[in-house]
Amino acid sequence: MNLSDPAFWSRLQFGFTLTYHYLFPQLTMGLGWFLVYWKWRALRTGNEQYNQAARFWAKIFGLNFAVGVVTGIPMEFQFGTNWADFSRYAGGVIGQTLGMEAMFAFFLESAFIGALIWGEKRLGPRYHFLAALAVAVGSWLSAYFILVTNAFMQHPVGYRIEADGLLGIASLSAYLLNPWAWVQFAHNQMAALVTGSFVVTGLGAFYTLRRVHLTQAQLYLRAGTFAGLIASVLVAFPTGDQQAKMVGRYQPVTLAAMEGKFAGGPMAGVAVIGQPNLEARRLDNPIEVPGALSFLAYGTFQSYVHGLEEYPKDLWPDNIELLYYSFHIMITLGTLFIILMACATFQNWRGRLCSTTWLLWVLMLAFPYTYIANTLGWMTAELGRQPWLIYGVFRTHDGYSKVVNSGNMLFTLIGFTGLYFVLGLLSLSLAGREIAFGPDLEVAANLQEKEAPV
Amino acid sequence: MIAAWYGIVSLMLIIYVVLDGRNFGAGMLHWFVAKTREERRQVVAAIGPLWTWHEVWLVGFGGTLLAVFPRLMASAFAGYYLALFLILWGLILRGISLEVAGHINDRLWQGYWDFILTFSNFLLAILFGAAAGNLARGVPLDSHGEFSMAFFTSFNVRGNVGLLDWYTVSIAIFAAVLLAAHGATYLTLKTQGLVRSRSTRAAKVLWAAVAPLFIVISVESWLVRPDLPGRAIYNPFWWLGLVIAAVSSMTLISGLSTRREMRAFLGSTFLIVGLLTTGGAGIFPVMLYSTLSPANSLTAYAVASSPSTLRLAFIWWPVGFALATTYFVFISRRYAGKVSVKQDNQGVY
Repeated sequence: MNLSDPAFWSRLQFGFTLTYHYLFPQLTMGLGWFLVYWKWRALRTGNEQYNQAARFWAKIFGLNFAVGVVTGIPMEFQFGTNWADFSRYAGGVIGQTLGMEAMFAFFLESAFIGALIWGEKRLGPRYHFLAALAVAVGSWLSAYFILVTNAFMQHPVGYRIEADGLLGIASLSAYLLNPWAWVQFAHNQMAALVTGSFVVTGLGAFYTLRRVHLTQAQLYLRAGTFAGLIASVLVAFPTGDQQAKMVGRYQPVTLAAMEGKFAGGPMAGVAVIGQPNLEARRLDNPIEVPGALSFLAYGTFQSYVHGLEEYPKDLWPDNIELLYYSFHIMITLGTLFIILMACATFQNWRGRLCSTTWLLWVLMLAFPYTYIANTLGWMTAELGRQPWLIYGVFRTHDGYSKVVNSGNMLFTLIGFTGLYFVLGLLSLSLAGREIAFGPDLEVAANLQEKEAPV
Repeated sequence: MIAAWYGIVSLMLIIYVVLDGRNFGAGMLHWFVAKTREERRQVVAAIGPLWTWHEVWLVGFGGTLLAVFPRLMASAFAGYYLALFLILWGLILRGISLEVAGHINDRLWQGYWDFILTFSNFLLAILFGAAAGNLARGVPLDSHGEFSMAFFTSFNVRGNVGLLDWYTVSIAIFAAVLLAAHGATYLTLKTQGLVRSRSTRAAKVLWAAVAPLFIVISVESWLVRPDLPGRAIYNPFWWLGLVIAAVSSMTLISGLSTRREMRAFLGSTFLIVGLLTTGGAGIFPVMLYSTLSPANSLTAYAVASSPSTLRLAFIWWPVGFALATTYFVFISRRYAGKVSVKQDNQGVY
C-alpha cells in the first residue's frame, strides 16, 4: 500500500465516512419498529405507558436520525467526488437505485420524521402511529435500495455494456431482484434489529439496576429481549448462513480469505482461533472444527473448499488479515448474542429477569458489541469484494477520481475527522442527557421545570 | 428525451433551491429577527418539520443525475471537489444546529447554536450562489472533459479559472441577498409578533436590494458569456422563465405592499423559480461550459446515459415524484398557518 496513492486516500475516506455513518442508521432501522409497536399498543390499549415509551425513544431516534441524515449526504456525493471513474462507468446502473432510494425511501422517511418527533399534537394519535410506520418503512426501503446497489457490486446481474462502452441495465427486474440483494437485505436488517433490541434492552437493564423508571424499564426489557432473541437467531440462521453460501458460490476466493484457507481440500474446518500468516501461507496456532466449513458452505462434510493458492495473487482480497479477523470476530459476537438473549428471554419468561442482577449487568454492557458486529459484517463484505469495485468486472484501482490529488483528499479527510469527532461527542453526550432525564418527564413539564431557575 | 431529462434534473434542483432556500434565508436572519428564546423558537418552528424533506431534493438530484448524466456527475463532482465538501460541511453544521440546540435549555448553549445556524446558512447561500455562477461562467474543462478547480486563481473569468472570481462572487452575493429576502418573506408568513414585524421590515429592505443587484448581475452575465442570449431567445423555456419571473415579481410587490403575506410568499417563490428557469434554459444544451476552449464543453447530449437507461428511469421517476408530493401536501396541510409556540415544540426536547 502506497501512502501517496490517491486511491488509498479515497478508500480510506469512503470507508471512514461510511463506517461512521452506518453507526446511526443501524439503530434507527432497528428502533423504528419498536416505535411502531409501542404506538400501536398505545392505540389498541389506551395505556399511556406505551405512548410515554414511544415519546422517550423518539428523542433518541431523532438525534440519531439527524446525525444519520447529515453524515449520509456526503456518501452520495462521494460517488462523484472521489469515485468519478466508477460513476462514469456504472452510473447508468447504480444511479437508478440511488435515485430510487431518494424518491421512494428518503422522501417518505423525511416527510414524517419531524411530525413523528414533534408533531404528536398536530397529527393526533392515529396519524402519529402512521408517521411512525412511515418512518420505519422508509428506513427499510432505503436499506433495500442501497443493498441492491451494493449487491450489484458484489454480484453483478442484469447489466450490459452499452454502445458507448459504459454499463447500462439490461433487465431492471434482474437488477432489483438480485438474489444476493435479498439475502444481504435479510441479513443486514436482522443485524440492525439486533442493535435496536440490544440498545432498548440495555437501557431497560440500566434503569432496573438503578431502580428508576421501573414501569418503563419493564416495557423495554420485555420488548427488547423478545425481539433481540428472534433477531439474533435470524441474523445467524438462515440469513447469515445463506450469505456465506452465496459468498462460497460466487466469490470462492473471498471465502478462502475469510477463513484463512491457503490450501484447498475436503473436510475444511472453521477456525475458532488462529492468526493468518501470509508469509508462510498458513494459519498459525489453529484450533479448528473439522469439516465445519465444507458443511456450512456447500452442505456436506466432504465438499471441496477452494484455497487461496488455487487463484492468482491479483485476485486475492488485498487485506486478508483484516478480512479474516472481521469475519471471525463477527461470528463470535453473533454466537454470544444468541446465548445472552436466550438466557434473558428464559429468565424473563420465568419472571425473574429483574432480580437476576448479573444478567442485567451483562445486558446493560452488551449493546456496544452489536455496533462492532454490524461494522465488522460490513468490513467482511467490502474487504472481501476487493480487489474489485464491481466483482469480476471493474477493479477498485480503476474507479477513483484521477483529477483529485492526494492533497485535496487529505484536506477533506482531516475535515471529516474533526467534524465527526464533534458529532460523536455531541450525540453521545446528548443521548446520555436524555437517558439521565429519563422517560418520565414530559416535554412541556420538562421545559417549565428547567425554565424556573433562569 | 435527453432534453426532457435535462428539464427534470433542473426541476429537482430548482425545487431544492426554492424549498431549502427559504430555510437558508430564515436561518441567516435567525440571529437578527429573533432575539429572545421564544422568538428564536418561532423561527425554528417556521423552518419546520420538513427541512430534511427539503434536503432530500438535493440527494434525489444527485442520484438522478448519476443515473441519467453519469459523465457529467463524474466530471463536475470531481472537479468541484473542495467546493462540494464545503457545502457538505455547511449542511452538516446547519442540520446539527437545528437538531441539538433544543436539547439543553441554556443561554450559552443555545446562543452558540443559533450563531452556528446563522453562519452555516449564510455560508450555504454563498456557496450555492458561487456554484450557480460557475455553471454560467464555465469551468476549465480539458479535452478529456475533466477539470480540477482551485478555490481561486487570478479572479479572472477566462482561461484557468478558480471557483471564486469577480463574477461568481457577485452571483454569490446576489444569491445570499435573494435567499435572505425569500426567507424574510417566508418568516413574515409563518410568525407573529416582533419576529413578524422585524421580518416584514427585513423583507422590504432586502427585496429593494435585490432589484439593483439583479441588473448588475445581468450585465455581468452578458459580459462573461456574450454568446448566450443569441441562442437562448429561441428556447421557449427561457421566455417562460422570464414571464414567470415578471408575473411573480408583480405578485410579490403587490403582496408586500398590501400585506397579503401568502401572496408575497408565492411571488417570492415563483420569482426564484422563474430566474432559475431562465438560467437553466439559457445555458442549455451545454451543462458544463469550458473556459479553455468551447469545444471541450460538455453538452447534455454528450453526457447522457443510453436511451434504454433513460427510458427505464422514466418509469420510476414520476411515481416517486407523485408519492413525494403527496407526503408533502399531507404534512404541510397539518402545519398550515402561523406557527404557535404552544403547539409546535419543533426542535425542543
